[in-house]
Amino acid sequence: MEHIVFGIGITALTGALATVAGSAEDTESNIGSQGDPNSQVQLAPQMGFLHRIFNKAVAGEPPAYGLWCALGAGLAWAFMAMQFNAVLAIVLGSVLAVFVQGVYATTAYVGRTASLSKFGQPVYVDILKSMTTVTMAHAFIAIFATVAICQLINGALGHPFPLPLLGLIWGIALGAAGSATGNPYYGKERQYQNQKFGAGVPISASGNIVRYAEAGERNSLDNGWFTAKIGGSASGICFGLIVFLELWRTVLFEQVAAGWGAIVVGVLMILVFTVVDRYIEVWARKNYGPYSEIKEASS
Amino acid sequence: MSAVAAKPTAGSAMNPTAMAVGVVLLLILLGIAYYVYPAGLIPLLLIIVGGVLIGFGVHFVPVGGAPAAMGQAPGIATGVAMLAAGGGLAGLFGGAWAAAAGQDALVVVITGGIGGGLMMAITCMMVNFVYVFGMGIPAASGKVAKDPITGDTQAEYKSQGTEGHGLPFISFVGGVIGGLFAGAGGTLIYLELLNVYQAALPAVMGITAAQVMPIAVSAAGMFAVGLFLVNAVLTAYNITGTIEGPHDPKFKRWPRSVVASAVASALCGLVAILIVAM
Amino acid sequence: MTVKVEVIEGGIPHNKIMIAGIVSTLVCLYLTYLNVLTSTEMFSFFGGLAVVAALLWGSHTIKVLCSYGIGTGVPSAGMIAFGSGVIAMLLATKFGILAPIVAAVLAAVIGFILGYVSNNILNMKIPTMVQSLTEMAVVGALTLMGFAALMTGGFTFAGLTTGHVTSLGMVLLTHQQSFLGGCLIAVAFLLGAIAIQHPFNACLGPGWKQDRMLMLTAECGFLSMLVAAVMSFALISTGSAIISLVIAIIGWAYTYKEYMVMSKRDAAAWLDAKPIPDVEGH
Repeated sequence: MEHIVFGIGITALTGALATVAGSAEDTESNIGSQGDPNSQVQLAPQMGFLHRIFNKAVAGEPPAYGLWCALGAGLAWAFMAMQFNAVLAIVLGSVLAVFVQGVYATTAYVGRTASLSKFGQPVYVDILKSMTTVTMAHAFIAIFATVAICQLINGALGHPFPLPLLGLIWGIALGAAGSATGNPYYGKERQYQNQKFGAGVPISASGNIVRYAEAGERNSLDNGWFTAKIGGSASGICFGLIVFLELWRTVLFEQVAAGWGAIVVGVLMILVFTVVDRYIEVWARKNYGPYSEIKEASS
Repeated sequence: MSAVAAKPTAGSAMNPTAMAVGVVLLLILLGIAYYVYPAGLIPLLLIIVGGVLIGFGVHFVPVGGAPAAMGQAPGIATGVAMLAAGGGLAGLFGGAWAAAAGQDALVVVITGGIGGGLMMAITCMMVNFVYVFGMGIPAASGKVAKDPITGDTQAEYKSQGTEGHGLPFISFVGGVIGGLFAGAGGTLIYLELLNVYQAALPAVMGITAAQVMPIAVSAAGMFAVGLFLVNAVLTAYNITGTIEGPHDPKFKRWPRSVVASAVASALCGLVAILIVAM
Repeated sequence: MTVKVEVIEGGIPHNKIMIAGIVSTLVCLYLTYLNVLTSTEMFSFFGGLAVVAALLWGSHTIKVLCSYGIGTGVPSAGMIAFGSGVIAMLLATKFGILAPIVAAVLAAVIGFILGYVSNNILNMKIPTMVQSLTEMAVVGALTLMGFAALMTGGFTFAGLTTGHVTSLGMVLLTHQQSFLGGCLIAVAFLLGAIAIQHPFNACLGPGWKQDRMLMLTAECGFLSMLVAAVMSFALISTGSAIISLVIAIIGWAYTYKEYMVMSKRDAAAWLDAKPIPDVEGH
């Protein structure tokens, strides 16, 4: 019984950490402009729309976060093997991982922009100086929280995988969840703020991202503020739910019916989310209504 | 991650000669396994099944790529290989835990599948949540006139100038199924390699079974991740980057991917098993 | 809808880079064998240099492959390279002193078959697919072997699976605190997979220049060597780890500075706190 109570307590803590990690990850990837929305930032100069957005072309979020978290976890593992205190080890590991992330961010920005010199896009050194530290700070929160989750799962809950492998797994899952949830919000809502709200961006508008913003010229720090409104929180809830529910159903139900208990609970959870998703979809159709008459199949 | 310029498209054509060569290659690899290490034949067959599950499952996952990030195409706005990897690895995590708790093989594999499916279900639901409540855009498919499961008409909910957006219900279901298969496949590969290593490494390395556990778990886990990525990338090549889900015409290309995944998994699985045979 | 890649030419031909890459990687890997001959771990840093050499070759291979437009983006190529390379590398470590050569041959076979599968069964029909995937699998295997040599001092299976733990003043052999037992191979895997695709991904565009990309590759290699050297403190003697760390820091600082200089050379403008320049009609 105590074993289960202890497990639930750890699960709750990891759920909270995961929520923080998810929102920090999405905010960081929007400040740095990483992943699929970044293709618009790269396309804009080619269509003649020069900008002052940080263009962090470091793979997509899943592999990149897989690396930062695995690296943080591996370094933490090495420090713990050298008899460092666990919390200190995780902090030091995250710091070094963030250093690597910052270096990759700067080389990506400078490299891509230099290769677009044909279109006249300049490299803005002040963007480099101001964005890099902000994006590193958000990444630190995400990496630290994720490595802490891995340490809790391995140390307190007894998962067989060693820390670096857990870091790889949860880093990739973090990147996938944060990227899936946060990318359309950044790509459509923020970069194409000048398009009509409530509809996708027409193909003819590609590249015409917002460059002159609320006050002055838009830069990526503004995107951090914007992300925190809903995209960051949604990504946080997404990753937090993933970690919490996965751990919760295992800790509570693993021993019920020789493992079938956890499976049944998992199926029930999937069904609940399916119902919720269907409700959201129907709600949108009913409340937003169609764009055109039902008879015409215009595209 | 950006797709690069168009090339002369390979299209969805099947290449019967190449498929036949693939099947022959598969049989040769199985033969080598039987000859060098007979106890590894069944594990290798199951590893192939796992790899095929991954390759086939990834076809279900709705991926829209860069256009989806602008609300121009339906699907999730991430790369297909890594999104599938995220789901499948979350499943592998759960499956490995069940294996360590001593559950039997069927329970372990299904647990892995459920883990992957749950991750995809939550992610797909949150994607629709952001589209509907954050951006005010309903879900619509660009490839079918009516959703095959719910019968909802799609064309009038598609905004002008786009190919659709969000995750229509068929895409959601596709994502969950993809996560199920990918998680189950990855867990199956892990379980088979773990069993092979636990059985044979103590003799090879001259240590006890308890001492070999960290090595066996790490090696099996790492190989499962590696095989996972290889199969996911091969599927990404098959669908050329984006797919809306099981209703997309591109889905019909899956036979090519099954053969490709089988050959790749057989090859990598054989090499992984030979570690204890040589 | 995305960055257009025109045919990028110029610079040293790929085959020269390939031959230089494979020779220097194998030479550096074998130089770590000096550890065995001298019973120390001081020469582990050659493993890191092997990583840099292999990455230089691999990033150019990715440039050759992805210039044809494979439709999925650059990072996937890195993943498939290392996914196939890690399995080849671990089997090869069982062959003692022949390990690097066996790794190269085995990875080449795996890469060749994967290339055939992609080009013919999956109908990708890209001219350099088979050769590129073969090369990338070899690069993946050798890079991982370089990381293993850097972090543990050798490339044999026994070395990767045993470590030392000091308990009550006694040094005990353990399998948990080892390169494979602690799964540091997962970190090496991702370090290499991101480092191999980053240079081409980051220098992608009409203004691509070979010397800038290769300098960035060296910078990524030394950066990876830096963090791997920090992790090696847990597995090899402190003195040897410090040697690797110092060499990595010097290498990284030099290549990073040079890369920035080259980027400044190639950029349209290098502005500090200036507004967006006006372009006709926008």
